[in-house]
Amino acid sequence: MSEAKAMSDKTRKIILGVLWALVAGFAVFAIQILFWGLGYTDMNNVFTWGNWIIGDLGLVALGGGAFFTGFFLYIFRVDKLEPIINSTVLIGFMCYLFTFVFLLFDLGQPLRCWFGFAYPNWGDGLLPTSMLTEVFFCLSLYFCILFVELIPIALTNKWAEKFPVLKAIGHYMHKLMWIMAAAGTFLSFFHQGSLGGGMWDVLYGKAVWFREHHQLFFIAIIAATAGGTSFMTLCPFVAGKVMNKEVMPKETYWTLTKISGVMFVIYTTVRIWDVYTMTTKFVPSFDRNYLDLWGGYYGIWLLVLEFLLLLSPVIFLNIKKFRETEKFMAIGIVSGVLAIVVSKISVLLHGFSAPNFPWRKFAAYNPTIQEWFVTLGVFALMILIYIAFVKWFKLFPHLEHSEEDH
Amino acid sequence: MTRRWGMAIDLDKCNGCGQCSIACSQENNMPIFKDDSDVPKRVAFLDLMKVTNDRDAEYPNVNVAYIPKMCQQCEGNDPNNPVPPCVSVCPAVATDVGDDGVVSQIWSRCIGCRYCQVACPYEARVFNWWKPKYEESFKKSLNPDVSIASRGTVVKCTFCSHLWKQERDKAVAKGELDINAVTYTPACVATCPTNAMVFGDLNDPKSEISRLSKDKRAFRLVHTIDDKSPEEQKKLKATRNYPSPKVYYLSSKQWVKDMMKFK
Amino acid sequence: MKKIERKDFLKMTGGAVVGGLTGYVFSGAPFLMFQELAEWSQDQYVPGKGEQKLLSDICKSCSEQCQITVRMVKDRAVKIESSNTCCPLGQASLQLLYHPERIHKPLKRAGKKGSGKYVPVSWDDAIKDISGQLNKLTKAGKTDGIASVSKNINAGSDLVRRLVNAAGSNQNYYESGLDSLTDAALGGIVQYDFANTDYVLSFGAKLFEGWGSQIQMNKVLADWKAGKTKLVQVDTNNSRTTSLADQWVPVKPGTEGIFALGLANYLIKNKGKTSNGVGFAKWAQLAYQFDLKTTAKLTGVSEKQIKAVGDAFAAARNPVAVAGKGAAGVSSSASELIAVYALNSMVNSKAASLKKVNGLGVPAKGKASEAGLDAFIKKGALDFLIVNEADPVYKSVMGADLAKKMNDAFVVALMPLINDTAHYADYILPTLSPIETLKVEGKAMVNRFPAAFHGGDAVIKIAQKVDAAKGSFPWKSYLDVIGQTGKKKAAGNFNFKVSDLKDQITALKKESAGLKMLPAEIAVIGDGDGMAFPYVLKTIDADTFELGKMKVLINKKTAEKEGVSDGSSIDITSSRGEIGSVKVCVTDLVAPDVIAVPLGFGHKAYTKYAKGKGVNPKEIMAADIDPVTGTANWWSTHVKIS
Repeated sequence: MSEAKAMSDKTRKIILGVLWALVAGFAVFAIQILFWGLGYTDMNNVFTWGNWIIGDLGLVALGGGAFFTGFFLYIFRVDKLEPIINSTVLIGFMCYLFTFVFLLFDLGQPLRCWFGFAYPNWGDGLLPTSMLTEVFFCLSLYFCILFVELIPIALTNKWAEKFPVLKAIGHYMHKLMWIMAAAGTFLSFFHQGSLGGGMWDVLYGKAVWFREHHQLFFIAIIAATAGGTSFMTLCPFVAGKVMNKEVMPKETYWTLTKISGVMFVIYTTVRIWDVYTMTTKFVPSFDRNYLDLWGGYYGIWLLVLEFLLLLSPVIFLNIKKFRETEKFMAIGIVSGVLAIVVSKISVLLHGFSAPNFPWRKFAAYNPTIQEWFVTLGVFALMILIYIAFVKWFKLFPHLEHSEEDH
Repeated sequence: MTRRWGMAIDLDKCNGCGQCSIACSQENNMPIFKDDSDVPKRVAFLDLMKVTNDRDAEYPNVNVAYIPKMCQQCEGNDPNNPVPPCVSVCPAVATDVGDDGVVSQIWSRCIGCRYCQVACPYEARVFNWWKPKYEESFKKSLNPDVSIASRGTVVKCTFCSHLWKQERDKAVAKGELDINAVTYTPACVATCPTNAMVFGDLNDPKSEISRLSKDKRAFRLVHTIDDKSPEEQKKLKATRNYPSPKVYYLSSKQWVKDMMKFK
Repeated sequence: MKKIERKDFLKMTGGAVVGGLTGYVFSGAPFLMFQELAEWSQDQYVPGKGEQKLLSDICKSCSEQCQITVRMVKDRAVKIESSNTCCPLGQASLQLLYHPERIHKPLKRAGKKGSGKYVPVSWDDAIKDISGQLNKLTKAGKTDGIASVSKNINAGSDLVRRLVNAAGSNQNYYESGLDSLTDAALGGIVQYDFANTDYVLSFGAKLFEGWGSQIQMNKVLADWKAGKTKLVQVDTNNSRTTSLADQWVPVKPGTEGIFALGLANYLIKNKGKTSNGVGFAKWAQLAYQFDLKTTAKLTGVSEKQIKAVGDAFAAARNPVAVAGKGAAGVSSSASELIAVYALNSMVNSKAASLKKVNGLGVPAKGKASEAGLDAFIKKGALDFLIVNEADPVYKSVMGADLAKKMNDAFVVALMPLINDTAHYADYILPTLSPIETLKVEGKAMVNRFPAAFHGGDAVIKIAQKVDAAKGSFPWKSYLDVIGQTGKKKAAGNFNFKVSDLKDQITALKKESAGLKMLPAEIAVIGDGDGMAFPYVLKTIDADTFELGKMKVLINKKTAEKEGVSDGSSIDITSSRGEIGSVKVCVTDLVAPDVIAVPLGFGHKAYTKYAKGKGVNPKEIMAADIDPVTGTANWWSTHVKIS
């Protein structure tokens, strides 16, 4: 028996309309940016990066839930996570795909992007000298892995099932997925850290970002595991509410959010340590005061907000009673995701606004229409692709089972 | 002895006339825009920063100085192994530091990611947000020794290294093969009408720049630990690199030195 | 032969395609394709290469006679190698040389005045018409309406002067500049010897910002020895000169002249000093009005400090008092110029001497001229005007009135770029910039405009067809004239001009409250000339002009009082009109109750690089015409903001 649809046709049409409008705007302004340059953004020589790098940091951090979920499923054999793995792989794939898209827009010379591979800044050591070289290689390799992981899911389409050879490929790939997961985890470890933290904490000329011993690199990895797992829970959860169906057994959500909750406790702890060391050691080494670095529009309220938002996943996702109550789980994962997003926004907006000279004021950033449409268009595209996969591929294997049971 | 090029700018002699900025634009083919008033997007290697002590004082104790700022050619803690904050971050090795301490920038290698701009503590690097254009006859005074950058690349002051190369070629043609015998003068220093700017080899103890860098009026721009005791400096340098720029400024006015510190 | 089955065919084709693609990718071809695509799509201009040469010549455009060295690549001038040369633009001279809006041929007006429409004509036709107009006027005896405006006293303006005089008129005017104002007030220009003085008391003269001879002042600063010479700046707002000075005496807006009178009073009364200027006794009586108490009240300087400055000035070995408020644009009243010079005479300063600069002669006939340009604009009749490398419509506070007069007169403008004044000209004749006059082995170093001439040469060409000037122009080129003019000889004693200035001096005692607008200048832009050059635009800081909006500087306390803050948009109104909208920049470089407004903006012409940026404060600045200099004293204007 199917229950009444949670969403009326009209609402669905409006939402789809908005999403497609955003995608159309994205297409138009993407051409303008690619052909006529970055002058059409509000980024400048002082506020060098903006919306799109925030998008990158956010997508990579939240998409990191894919590797972590896979890690638990394939290496630790936590089978309760099996029903969600398809969704996480798809989300991970999209996050990384669109990270590349954002990066392509952010490059002044996208046609030269291959220089990052042809002339990498590797230096003499095992690890590359430039964090961005690390990002280029790691992200590309991980993207290949995600692509490979996505193939079996793509092959669940009804059309593919007509060819037994494809079914066989899909089946065998599933068996070997653990290799992919292990490699993915290894790589993810590095680029989560580099894009989200390592890139910033090596900048020894900048008081807002510098930390020793790649401190922020490691914190970013933890942030990705925490925020990512919450995000991976959130997406099918929202889908289920929209479709008014049970897309995932409750135990799957509880398992993943339990992992997320623990990671949030670790993250909050190390983040407090991070703020402490910034205040007492790193910022004073620049002869500056940590609190004085926060000002203008992106002031200390961003830091306070991040910690406030961290409270709810720490509490609700760790206490079983709350975690297993839908309302509190939802609050927990939403504010967990927001906390990580706010932390990335803060790295960028607060970081670029802090003055580099004592006679300057805090800088501001007002993204232009081009930047907004490219950003929101990408998000819209991700939502549309997710919807497409829900509709035409076996994204939620649990759905089949639950429907069969009915 | 290898060269270690440095610059000294005497703010007691600088009247903010702007000729250094214009000379740099002329020498390095700065792009031409009808409206160049979007200052944070402006493409200029030499920024004449207007600095006042409005932060610290009130009328009539507020003064002004126009401080020429270009790439400070940072070297990090060890002059023998220079690590400028911007060089290690470039993903395509479009910027590098030479044996003479000058940080080069190859605009045709740059992919425009602007990571080096993010790393630079002096905002010395500028990006071609728009396509560099030169209206009609302005093209006639373009310098063929400096390549025209494409839009979407980072450009910056290179201490006019193309002029060094010219002098090097001339010396070799004359039979002088020692690379460390070459001397030259960047455009800004050459044009300064009050001789406020000095350029030379910091490794040569007899050079004027060496002397000026040790003058009691000398200071470096903002991000330094020069005023700390040698022990304190050693301790701090052990924890991380400091930019350690090779551009020195001189001023007898205390307010200028006070404005080099954050409050 | 075995038949190839469809399955095999597909396998082979598939293999071929996959193999081909793999080979293509790994061969590097796609990367080469990207490279070429990048280069083709960027389409960057490549400047022509060629043999590089360094050419040198001595510039004869003015008395400085600088040696200029230019780096040439083939026939292109790419860099000026000499420093402290080619003033006032310096390195930006090449931008003038190669400006796309340079005039290459004589232009004749082809529409209404102010419409900016011109057609190129030949020199012969232009000269025929221009000289014809002058001949017509001289024949009819209507010489009262013939006039000229030049920027400065130099060889070019001397030739113009001679032509106008020969045609029967006296009306040769200059823009509001240091030398012309000083000459009108004191009967000569002041020659300063900054190298040998130990105490410089500057009355608002922004010595190192374009005041006087830029080249000379740069040399002064280069040789300045701290401790050997002390610079005391008497000024309202802080600027580059004041910040470089050893001491700043802040005074209320426009009261530098009062301070000079107060000092004079102190020196006369307390130190028994006298001056050898004509009319000293009567003048001293006027100076007595400015006793310590009065002076302190009017200028805002304490009595103690007035005395201290007076003592130091008098006790110095070779002190000098410098007059001429401003930088490139100077505005000082006659009484102020005289009072400051009087101080020099009182201490027998060897660092200031009055010099008469000889021109080219030809005694003036006809009606006596107005004392200055602004008086002429107000009262004079205009039939024929020569504008010699000047921009009075833009720079004079009576510019709008001048434009009206020019509407009904015949106007010839000599200039390299079409400026605001040229818009009202009937003919615009192209002139050469100094760098274009340089020659190597008899040939011009850079000859971009074969049809252009040095302003002086253009005047000689016209003069040769003017009947009234026959015999007065025996030269072929301005070069023949260079050695003959500009010679300085000691001027006679100066005159205090008490009867003319009595009222002006007494009126100084009246205190006025409220907001005052003062001008400020930025480097190279000066009072407007530098605005046409893109590399100069790059030197404009964000506190002066940003994102298309001009900014005005207001003191912190004043901003609070007026209810504005950093970034507020305001209009400024005076009794003459309103300008707006401009943005506020709050800084204590500026005195309380003062708005500092940059000069150089608000052009209505003068190339696309200058046009339509900001506003021109001269439109609403004070226009009280000085009885002796005949020029408006526009330094300090009463304003309100909204």
